[in-house]
Amino acid sequence: MDSVSQLQEQVNTLASLAFNTFGTLQRDAPPVRLSPNYSEPSTNPSEDTVNIAEQPKLMSAALVKAAKQFDTLVNALPVAEGDEEAQLKQIAELEAENEVVGQELQWQLEAAEQDLKQGQELFNQAVDYCVNLKKPD
Amino acid sequence: MAATATYPPPPPYYKLYKDYLQDPKSAPEPPPPIQGTYVLYGANYTTEDVLPSLEDQGVRQLYPKGPNVDFKKELKSLNRELQLHLLELADVLVERPSQYARRVEDISLIFKNIHHLLNSLRPHQARATLIHILELQIQHRKQAVEDIKRRREEAQKLLKEALATLDGY
Repeated sequence: MDSVSQLQEQVNTLASLAFNTFGTLQRDAPPVRLSPNYSEPSTNPSEDTVNIAEQPKLMSAALVKAAKQFDTLVNALPVAEGDEEAQLKQIAELEAENEVVGQELQWQLEAAEQDLKQGQELFNQAVDYCVNLKKPD
Repeated sequence: MAATATYPPPPPYYKLYKDYLQDPKSAPEPPPPIQGTYVLYGANYTTEDVLPSLEDQGVRQLYPKGPNVDFKKELKSLNRELQLHLLELADVLVERPSQYARRVEDISLIFKNIHHLLNSLRPHQARATLIHILELQIQHRKQAVEDIKRRREEAQKLLKEALATLDGY
């Protein structure tokens, strides 16, 4: 996939990772004490709480890794600082050169066709003499 | 049996092409390509394919305007901004959860800017691809010219040798 599409994919990955991170954290967060008037909510230590403590670390690590990858991809962009006019000028020059080389190719092709015809003529003549259908003039 | 509408009849200008086989010039030319805007199924389309700027879409532009935008630098700084905003959102959700909306808006603004920057890279990429293709084509043509020259010389050489051999008899 070309570099710009890869960058676009990476941005979308970043967005979906952030979305999943916040969504999961919000969904799985344990209850928290809101006001001193109410008692502490009961926390049942179980397997889930252990996983819930691990999840932010894993997900934020994935997010940071994706962001670093985006930076790497940006650095790998082959963007030369040539602006639009420089590129258009280069395209015009290349087109002119292409035209010239194309003309020469055409000329060479025609000359080669001539040679081929000549060669075939001579061959036909030679064969005719060999088979004695025509007397040499 | 369901009642279905019949197909519309073919356009009536097929009659103009009655003598096309005998005289190709007696029939009208095909219509020229459309220029400017046109209407298709009630919607307006334009033939100019230009990326609408962010202001046209009502989105604030975060990177500096100007003729030459340094894409790499702006993309990297937008990436950093994005990370900072995500951290801010996490903070807000812990401290003042009801104020998430502004932060989420900021994050989506940054994403829109990043995508707009990437889309504006595409014309540059297209021109670079064109340059690459032209260079390849020039290289192939030069190669073909060299090949033909070489073959012609070989053929001439063979012919001369053959004539020399024949003259020897």
